[in-house]
Amino acid sequence: MKKKILSIIMAMTMAVSMFTGCGGGKDVASNGELNVFIWTEYVSEDAIKAFEDSSGIKVNVSTYSSNEDMLAKLKSESEGTYDVILPSDYAVENLIAQDKLEKLNKESLSNLANIDESFLNKDYDPGNEYSVPYEGGVACIAVNKAKVSKDIKSYDDLFDPELKDQLVVLDDYRAVIGITERSMDLSMNETDPTTLSKVGEKLLTLKDNVKLFDSDSPKSALIAGDCTVGMIWSAEAALAKDENPDIEVVYPTEGSYVFLDNWCIPKGAKNYDNAMSFINYMLSADAAKMNIEGFPYLCPNKAALEMMGEDYINNTAKNVPTEVISGGEFLKYLDADTLKTLDDMWTKLKE
Amino acid sequence: MSRKKSKHEFRANTLPAMLTVGPVTLIMILLIAVPLLYVAVMSVCSLDEYYNVTFKFTLSNYTRLLNADYIKIYIQSIVIALVTTVLCILIGYPFAYFIARTKSKKKKILYMLVIIPFWTNSLIRIYGWRSFLGTSGWINSILQGLHIVNEPVDLLYKQGTTILGMVYCLIPFMILPLYTAIEKLDTSLLEASSDLGARPSSTFFEVILPLTSSGIFSGSLMVFIPCLGYFFVSDILGGGNSDVIGNLIERQFQSGNNWPLGAALSIILIIVTLILVKIYQKLGGDMDSLGV
Repeated sequence: MKKKILSIIMAMTMAVSMFTGCGGGKDVASNGELNVFIWTEYVSEDAIKAFEDSSGIKVNVSTYSSNEDMLAKLKSESEGTYDVILPSDYAVENLIAQDKLEKLNKESLSNLANIDESFLNKDYDPGNEYSVPYEGGVACIAVNKAKVSKDIKSYDDLFDPELKDQLVVLDDYRAVIGITERSMDLSMNETDPTTLSKVGEKLLTLKDNVKLFDSDSPKSALIAGDCTVGMIWSAEAALAKDENPDIEVVYPTEGSYVFLDNWCIPKGAKNYDNAMSFINYMLSADAAKMNIEGFPYLCPNKAALEMMGEDYINNTAKNVPTEVISGGEFLKYLDADTLKTLDDMWTKLKE
Repeated sequence: MSRKKSKHEFRANTLPAMLTVGPVTLIMILLIAVPLLYVAVMSVCSLDEYYNVTFKFTLSNYTRLLNADYIKIYIQSIVIALVTTVLCILIGYPFAYFIARTKSKKKKILYMLVIIPFWTNSLIRIYGWRSFLGTSGWINSILQGLHIVNEPVDLLYKQGTTILGMVYCLIPFMILPLYTAIEKLDTSLLEASSDLGARPSSTFFEVILPLTSSGIFSGSLMVFIPCLGYFFVSDILGGGNSDVIGNLIERQFQSGNNWPLGAALSIILIIVTLILVKIYQKLGGDMDSLGV
C-alpha cells in the first residue's frame, strides 16, 4: 500500500515538472505559450489556429462577455495571468488611468500600416501607445420595412408612440441611456445632474415602445418577427438582414454610438514578445479577413477590406461608412456618482 | 489520573466525533460560511473612482436599497412570486393527488414525467418556450392555420409570460412535497368521513386539505423563494420588462459593476428567505420536507 502511494506521488511530481518544463521558456521545442483573454464570439478560431501553426506558440483562450467582467477578472487574478486582452475604448481609458497596461513596442507591429488612420490616435489612447484597434461597431437601428410604415431616420424616431410594443433594444444601460442623450443632441457622457434628470424623463417615454431588452441575440427577435424595429449592434443587424431582406439598417442622423475594441497587453504579462507577435498577426490582412468573415463587425483593417468582395464592400451594415464612424461618439468612463444616477434611471425604466 | 481520563475521553468521544462530523463541518465552513461571510463583508464595502471594491466601511449600499424604484421592483417580484405559487398549488395539487392515488405501474410513469424535465438544463427549456410562443412559433402557426386568428397573437415578453415560465420551472418543487403528503394520507380516514355522511367536497376541505397542508406549506416555500431570484426566466420570457430581485442582483454584478450593492441586495434576499423559513417553522412546518 505504502509503495503504491509513493509511486503515485512520484508520478505526480514527474507530471508536474513536465508541465513546468513546457511552460518554462523558448529553449524547448515549442515557442512557448500565450494567454489571451477576449470577448466571446468575436475572434475567429481559424485565425488563432493559423497563428499557432505559423509561430509554434500555444495559445490559451479565455473569454468574457462584458468589459466590466474583464476588468473584474483582471483585478482578481494575479498579475501575469493574461498576456493579451481586448477591451473596448472606455475600458482602455480606465486601464491606462490605473496604470494597468504595458506600452506596445510599435517597431514590432509591422502590420499596423494596414489599419485605416481614421481609427488611430483616438481620445482614449492618444498616439496608440497602449492599444491598437481590432474591430468595432455601431448601435444602429434595424427596421423591418415590410411591417413598419414609418420612415425611421434617427434615434429620436424610436420614441414615437406609434412604435408601441415594437422595439428590441440592447439590454445595456449605457447604450440605451446613451442613445436617449444623442436623441436630445446631448453627449452620451453627460454628467450634469439636472441635464441627466431631463434625460431620465425622456427615457421613460421609451418604456412603452420597448417589447424586449436583449443583448445576447437581439437579431433573433427581429428575424422571427416578434419585434419590428431594433436598436442593436451593427453586426447583429447585418446578420438579421442576411436572414430577412426586409430588414433595413439605418444609421441615425444624430450621430451614432460607436465602439472600438482594442488589443492591449496587461501590466506584468509573462509572454510580452509572444503577445506582440500575436497582435501583429491579428493586424495582418489574412487574419482580419478571417475575423470579419466570422464576425462581420466594423473592420478598421483596410488591407483586409481590399480582399473582400463587392458584396461586402457595398453592404453598409457590414462595411460601416466612414462618416458614420467619424460622426459618432465613444463612451467614456464616468465617475461613480454619475453611474449611480444612470443605474437609478435604468431601474426606473425596468420597474 | 485526570490526564489519563481526558485522553481516554478524547479517544472515546471527541476523536470519533471529529472524524465523522469534521469533514462535513469543514465542507460547510468552506463552501457555505466563508462565501456568506464574503458576501456580507462585500456588502459594506465602497467603490473607488475606478469602480474597484475598497474595504472602506459604508452602509450606503443598504440605504440605497430603500430607493422607491427598488421597492417597486421588490413588490413586483413578490407579486410575481405569489401568483406563481398560487398557480402551482392549483395545478400541482390535483396532479399530485392523481399520482398518489393511481395504482402502481402508472404511478411510476407519472412520477417520472415530473422528474425527467429536470435532466435538461432549465435555460434550454425556457428558450424552448420562447420559440414555442413567438410570433412565428408553434402556437401562432396552429392558431393561424386553423383560422382562429388572422394576426399573430402577442404572447411573449409580458409579465404573464414570466409567470408562465416560473410556474413551468418550479412546479416540480410543488408537486413532490404534495405527493409525499398525499401519499401518507390514511385512506381509512376518508372512508370514515364518507361513512359519517360527509359529501366529497366537505371531505376534501375538512379532512384531506388539513392533513396535507404540510405539503402545501413546504411546496409554497420552495416555489416562492426561488421565484424571487430566477432572473433568467424574466430575462428570456419577460424580455426584461418584468424584473425580479434576481435581475437587480445580476445587473449589479455584471453591467452595473457595483459588487457591494449587489452583495447588499443578496443579503436582503437571504434575510427574506430566513424570515419565511422561520414563519414556516412557527406554523409547524417540517424542516425535513424542505430537504434541509
